[in-house]
Amino acid sequence: MEILEFASPRTLDEALHLVRDRHGTAIGGAAWLRMNTKIMPLGVDLSELGLDYIREAAPDSIEIGAMTTYRELETSPLLEARFGRLFSTTVSHIVGIQLRNIITVGGTLAGRYGFSDLNTTFCALGAKVIFYPGKSVDVASFIQDGEEGPFLIEKVLLPASAKASYQQVRITANDFPIINAAAAWTGSSWRIAVGSRPAASRLCKKAMVLLGNEPYPSDEKIEQAASAAAEELQFGSDIRASAEYRREILPALVRRALMEVRG
Amino acid sequence: MIITLYINGKKESVECQPGEMLTEVLRRAGYVEVKKGCDTGNCGVCTVLLEGKPVLSCSYLAVRADGKHITTIQGAAKEAEEFAHFLTAEGADQCGFCAPGFALTVLAMKKEMPNPSEGEIRHYLAGNLCRCSGYEGQIRAIKKYLEADHA
Repeated sequence: MEILEFASPRTLDEALHLVRDRHGTAIGGAAWLRMNTKIMPLGVDLSELGLDYIREAAPDSIEIGAMTTYRELETSPLLEARFGRLFSTTVSHIVGIQLRNIITVGGTLAGRYGFSDLNTTFCALGAKVIFYPGKSVDVASFIQDGEEGPFLIEKVLLPASAKASYQQVRITANDFPIINAAAAWTGSSWRIAVGSRPAASRLCKKAMVLLGNEPYPSDEKIEQAASAAAEELQFGSDIRASAEYRREILPALVRRALMEVRG
Repeated sequence: MIITLYINGKKESVECQPGEMLTEVLRRAGYVEVKKGCDTGNCGVCTVLLEGKPVLSCSYLAVRADGKHITTIQGAAKEAEEFAHFLTAEGADQCGFCAPGFALTVLAMKKEMPNPSEGEIRHYLAGNLCRCSGYEGQIRAIKKYLEADHA
């Protein structure tokens, strides 16, 4: 990746101006830039904007700044207190600590990567992505449809009382997942998301309807929802696995996630 | 563009391109102990400490390091040499190519986790690949190194 001009704005307004009016590209963790052969006319560095935080926010929410690293997610006492080992389980298989000290929440969201572990967990939790200066969009909708025109991700908002589980299968520990799934009980309904199909994370809406608003679904109901999730989604084949294999193993992951949350 | 780096405690003004990664800039400035390995963010050979935290210099934009403190293996020579005695005693030094990044990650782990379990050690070191696959010897060396530190 060649960057012709590099700007380090000190305010979100300045950053938005550069992205929206000067067609700059916001730079998250930048770990993938090296793999790209494009030319970037204007790179907009977000690292001086104070967007690396994980904190409580009203009402009953947790907000995570766009420049928060995966390692910060993994080791956050606040996230552990609210969600147990959910975030550690979601990100700790990703390469090594050295990379997780670089890659960011905002970069992952903006890329809408198919292989993402984190986006699947965000989708299941019902997280909202907040675009500066304040537009809020459901992460699952953003992953599916994107955002029209230039945007600047400021933070992610999580419902602090949700309970979730993340499951994945990888060929080797530090590889991309073959398939991943997360399930969450939001307090009033179930949400199930599946990613690395190998396409990007999607909600399993039929399976979610099947589970309804019953916080303690039966084993039979969970089995039905797990099968429904595999039936309603599209899968693809790539170097890591065939579509058929992904479809075959997904119900086990969804079942495990639901059972872990249900208890 | 010119950036200022504090490398192993020494202030250096270096020129870099906006899209350049830190490995290239450090090596060009003479810090060739920072090795180039996979150059795709996987192997951990290029690890340096940035403000005390281990990062892959091949995946870190050099311009973002402007004004920051960087430690290469030369900057941690004393601790690295102490650790190296344990590595050689366990026959885990082998070809040595991964050693600079590996040793820096071990030193970062020691600061972050004073008394890690074997599982925690393996997890912390998961991003440091050894092309000689000398992992078992490395684990023995790390455990003995940490034990000696607590003795």
